[in-house]
Amino acid sequence: MKIIVAIKQVPERDAQVRIDSSGKWIDESGLQWALNESDAYALEEALQQKEKNGGEVIVLTAGPERVGPTIREALAKGADRAIHIDCDDLASRDALGVARLLAAAIQPESPDLILTGLQSEDLGLGQTGVIVAELLGLPHATLILQVEKTGTGIKVKRELEEGWFQSVELPTPAVLTIQSGGNKLRYATLMGIKRAKTKDVRRVTAAELAVDAAPVVVLDRIALPQKQKTTQMLPGTPKEAAATLVEKLKFEARVL
Amino acid sequence: MSGIFVVLQERDARVSRASWEAIAAGQLLGSQLNQPVTAVVLGAATEALAAEAAAKAIAKVVRVDHPLLAQYTADGFTAALAQLIQAQSPTAVVLPHTYQVRDYAPALAARLGQVLISDVVAIGDGPTFTRQLLQGRLTGAYRPTGSGPCFISVQAGAFRADTVQAGAAEISTFTPTLDAAQIRTQPGEPFRGAAQTVDLGSAQLIVAVGRGIKDADNLPLIQDLATALGAEIAASRPICDNGWLPMERQVGSSGQTVSPKLYLAVGISGAIQHLVGMKGSQCIVAINKDPDAPIFEVADYGIAGDLFEVVPALTEAIKTAKQ
Amino acid sequence: MNPLALTLASPQHFSILEKLLLALLTLTSAALFWRRFGVVLDKILKSKKDAGFSLRPLGRRVGDFVWEVMLQAKVIRQRPLAGLAHAFVFWGFCAFALVTLNHFAAGFGLGFLSPDGLFGHCYFSFAAVFALACAIGILGLFIRRFLVRPKWLGKKLSYESGFIAFLIFLLMATYLAAFFLPETSPALRTLWWIHTLAILTFLPIIPHTKHLHLLLSPATVFLSRGGFSRIPALDGDEDFGLVAGTDLTRLVTLQAYSCVECGRCTEHCPAANTAKLLNPKEVILNLRGYLNTLGPASDRPLIESLAAPQVPFQCTTCGACEFQCPVGIEHLPILVGLRRGAVNTGAWDDDYGSKLFLALERGSNPLGMPATDRDKFIEKAALPLFDGTQEYCLWLGCMGAYDPQGRQIVTDLARILNYLGISYGVLRKEKCTGDAARRLGNDLLFQQLAESNLEALAQSKVKKMLSICPHCVRTIQEDWKEYGVPPAIEHHSEFIARHLHRLPSEGAGGFNPLKSQDEKSRALAPEAGSPQPPSTATSPEGFVTGHDFSRAETAAQLTGALAPATAPPVLETIVYHDPCYLGRYRNIYEEPRAVVRATGHLVEAPRSHERSFCCGAGGGLTFLGEETGERVSHVRTAELVATGATTIATACPFCNSMFRDALADKGDTAPQLLDIAQLTARNLPGKIEKQA
Repeated sequence: MKIIVAIKQVPERDAQVRIDSSGKWIDESGLQWALNESDAYALEEALQQKEKNGGEVIVLTAGPERVGPTIREALAKGADRAIHIDCDDLASRDALGVARLLAAAIQPESPDLILTGLQSEDLGLGQTGVIVAELLGLPHATLILQVEKTGTGIKVKRELEEGWFQSVELPTPAVLTIQSGGNKLRYATLMGIKRAKTKDVRRVTAAELAVDAAPVVVLDRIALPQKQKTTQMLPGTPKEAAATLVEKLKFEARVL
Repeated sequence: MSGIFVVLQERDARVSRASWEAIAAGQLLGSQLNQPVTAVVLGAATEALAAEAAAKAIAKVVRVDHPLLAQYTADGFTAALAQLIQAQSPTAVVLPHTYQVRDYAPALAARLGQVLISDVVAIGDGPTFTRQLLQGRLTGAYRPTGSGPCFISVQAGAFRADTVQAGAAEISTFTPTLDAAQIRTQPGEPFRGAAQTVDLGSAQLIVAVGRGIKDADNLPLIQDLATALGAEIAASRPICDNGWLPMERQVGSSGQTVSPKLYLAVGISGAIQHLVGMKGSQCIVAINKDPDAPIFEVADYGIAGDLFEVVPALTEAIKTAKQ
Repeated sequence: MNPLALTLASPQHFSILEKLLLALLTLTSAALFWRRFGVVLDKILKSKKDAGFSLRPLGRRVGDFVWEVMLQAKVIRQRPLAGLAHAFVFWGFCAFALVTLNHFAAGFGLGFLSPDGLFGHCYFSFAAVFALACAIGILGLFIRRFLVRPKWLGKKLSYESGFIAFLIFLLMATYLAAFFLPETSPALRTLWWIHTLAILTFLPIIPHTKHLHLLLSPATVFLSRGGFSRIPALDGDEDFGLVAGTDLTRLVTLQAYSCVECGRCTEHCPAANTAKLLNPKEVILNLRGYLNTLGPASDRPLIESLAAPQVPFQCTTCGACEFQCPVGIEHLPILVGLRRGAVNTGAWDDDYGSKLFLALERGSNPLGMPATDRDKFIEKAALPLFDGTQEYCLWLGCMGAYDPQGRQIVTDLARILNYLGISYGVLRKEKCTGDAARRLGNDLLFQQLAESNLEALAQSKVKKMLSICPHCVRTIQEDWKEYGVPPAIEHHSEFIARHLHRLPSEGAGGFNPLKSQDEKSRALAPEAGSPQPPSTATSPEGFVTGHDFSRAETAAQLTGALAPATAPPVLETIVYHDPCYLGRYRNIYEEPRAVVRATGHLVEAPRSHERSFCCGAGGGLTFLGEETGERVSHVRTAELVATGATTIATACPFCNSMFRDALADKGDTAPQLLDIAQLTARNLPGKIEKQA
């Protein structure tokens, strides 16, 4: 199977967030970057499919030059080659705009399967994969934990709310968005990194892909949320504290 | 363009709570834009759902009825809704941010040249839609700039379902044109994960017990709380070492790593070996009689008290709230 | 008594026939010897060259040679009686060098040492003394091996060892017996021939048995890498560690053939002592077996041949094996080499291991904790940030930053620094030193972490570092050298010991080892009007505010641990546990003890100093899953508790964590567990304000 995995480089999870001067995004100076977590699971699924059924795994990513190490990491873990859409203005494109870039790069490859992570750790929109499917006119399924090849296409295990699951069958080519936790991730090895040095990374500029970049939704400004994470100690008698807690869990934390 | 469409989702043959919250959001948006709210239900036999929705203080209910919509599929729902929206041109389409909506709404919006603003927690003037970024560390205000309808999905609990008043709405039907060949996915029946094995890793609610429980005989206290919550039981290492609970319930560096929505640590001090197993929890609550216990450093909510009094009180409070 | 009759046969007593026979036998023996020894030498030379090997510094090599080989220091010190017996045998062999040469020469009529000359006379007497000592020695060793049969020599009786012991005894006996025979006795000739045949039988046996160490181990000691647990850098793009025979270097092969099967390594191995599969002696002997059957050019995997795949991962890298080895075998590079072979190629598939590596890949620390937690701690504990002007950069490490107990240690060390008026700061951001990555054999991660850290430290202009963790200290000081020049770093035990004279050993802080129980508890509460610490011009405003867990915990433990208020005065006894990475790795034994003595009465565990028994956390094992069978930490904890001490003192946050866990079972009767920084800080005066 020829599988394309769309990955994204995101700020590392522990990053100190400071809003930049424009008020529209965070100050990226001094940030460390990492491979988006659910994309790592998508890559892992692709690699396991290749190990089971043969084929090729290609990683695709859009971003400026700094995405290089993330591409190398994906190659080190076992991807065969990479496509880098060199794009400095990713932040000014909306989900549709980004998906157009990816779809344009994917189309000539005619893959059997396109995998993306469920959502990114920075924007968390969780839509790019679904929009790519729509743009390419392909069937799709989301929140996927397992993929199995069948005679007619693939059978996937999809996560539903509250501990339920569902099997879905669909033909290939198809797009899947992969949920974290479905597989055990592999770590990057020295051997992998050395082999990665000789793997092909094809660079294409956003301009060359010539897609419509005007956004229909704009991120106007960002802000630090009012409530910082501090421990709220709930006072009172056990009964009072318990009642307060339930109230908080329902309406403040929204986990009940 | 006019009207706020709110797409409702069905759960056990009734309108889901998240859908009512979406209606509340739709009403908020509607009052800001001075537009009426129309509820949309999809399915093959939507009469009952429509009637339920029509008993609320909204303007209209549209039944999108078609045999091919009996089961949810992304292709079916996207096609049907796309036709409805193109036919009736609403200003905005509001959906609850559920797994189902995440599966089709982005494609629906893209088909209409729009982008879904997902997981909205607040609606401001403009309208602007606030959502969380960087896993809750930032909020961002989004503004639609296109010329078509704007699409938003609202986070569960961000809007209150109880603000939706009773009323009477007009019901109409819309029959989309669908072809079986359009539906490319075949969904199976939902099933539960294997019941025998304890899978704390995927549990959404966990009650964890530590040495504060003092004796295995006191565990029923915790069991009651877990049952009331619908949560899984976990434990710190000493409890499992003593054999009071099986080893697969151990959370920590040598046990399982969990990331539930809610982690309730009862009688656990918070040694690093335990912390590394549960620090990914969305909301951490700690109950411990020592107000200086390290667990309070990582907790969102804490009760410094005697667990033998707090836990039963909490169990009662939860039972009451769920009624 | 005729003193030197062994030189006995004056040349004309040997007939041509005898000389021919002697020549034939000698040649045969030599040929048989070479037939096997040549093969061994060939295997050593055919092994990969050790990259970066240099004979310099020669002084160190000569020093080691003299100390360990000539003086037999390690052999004697670690097993005194058996060691001494062996030393006599060895010195006997050395002393006999000329005797034996002359013996054969005389057989051909070319004897050069005359019993009548002064030198000859002295020498032969001298040799006789050693012959006696050697005979007694070998007899003793024989009795030990075959009658006493200590566990570490293995279950199987080694008949070859017995035979060789017999031969050696025979050699000495024949030499000595000759002294009692008259010069003309025909028995002398017989004795001569027996002596000769014994030597000629011994010679070819040497390369076929562990007695190869006679020839090899002096070279092994001389050529060793030096240092302790010195993991060699990988050599080129195709080197991933010890994967197959082709990865074995000359040093490793030489070491494998030098093993004398004494079992000292296994005797002190914490894994072997807790019924794990890991048995260091077996690994080395299996390596030798591999070399014998497959050779150094083989690409058959070493794993499985040397040990089952999980076995190298049972090693805590405590170094007891390498430390004990009398012939210079360096076990740790071999065990870590096997780990490298599995990890660098991705063959190692362990849930916890993968989780550890992924955590290190993504973020900054092996515990997987968010860095914001560290920031919060720094803020709460009011630790100053390093800005290039302070004297020390206080390195927190993962335990100091995230572990509640580690944080208490850091906070107490900060109090000590404040009291002494010594400036320090902590880095805004720290990445793991890579200790676990290095010990587990993940060279990719280790390189990334080492290089990244070295750059960050250079940029921050860090010159001197201080750490509470021996693992950080070792990795920074030694292992980072592979990628750059690390700043100077010392462990807090060295630091505190140096400043002991300026620190109170009792007093305003209220701690007196001889106070009664209720006085103790009162003494720990903040006292109104307690004297301020001496302020100097450079002393920062340095009381620690915020949660001071040390007080809460110590008070609770003391009131819980000892009898109620009316008890008689209790003398605090403190048993100090030598951390592997501070003791054997860094040779620091006395400084922490000085610190302990300044605050209480020191007692020793049965296994202490270089014999200290590992806590079980090292080698990355603290981040891996649960141990099978008996836990190393529990064994050591039981040993420490059995000393009857009221307090266990640690100098490593990992030891602390392991003992804390193991003591949890013991409930209220458990001894206190405190780091040496905490012990010292108890005596400091000062306000400890609890945050509201």
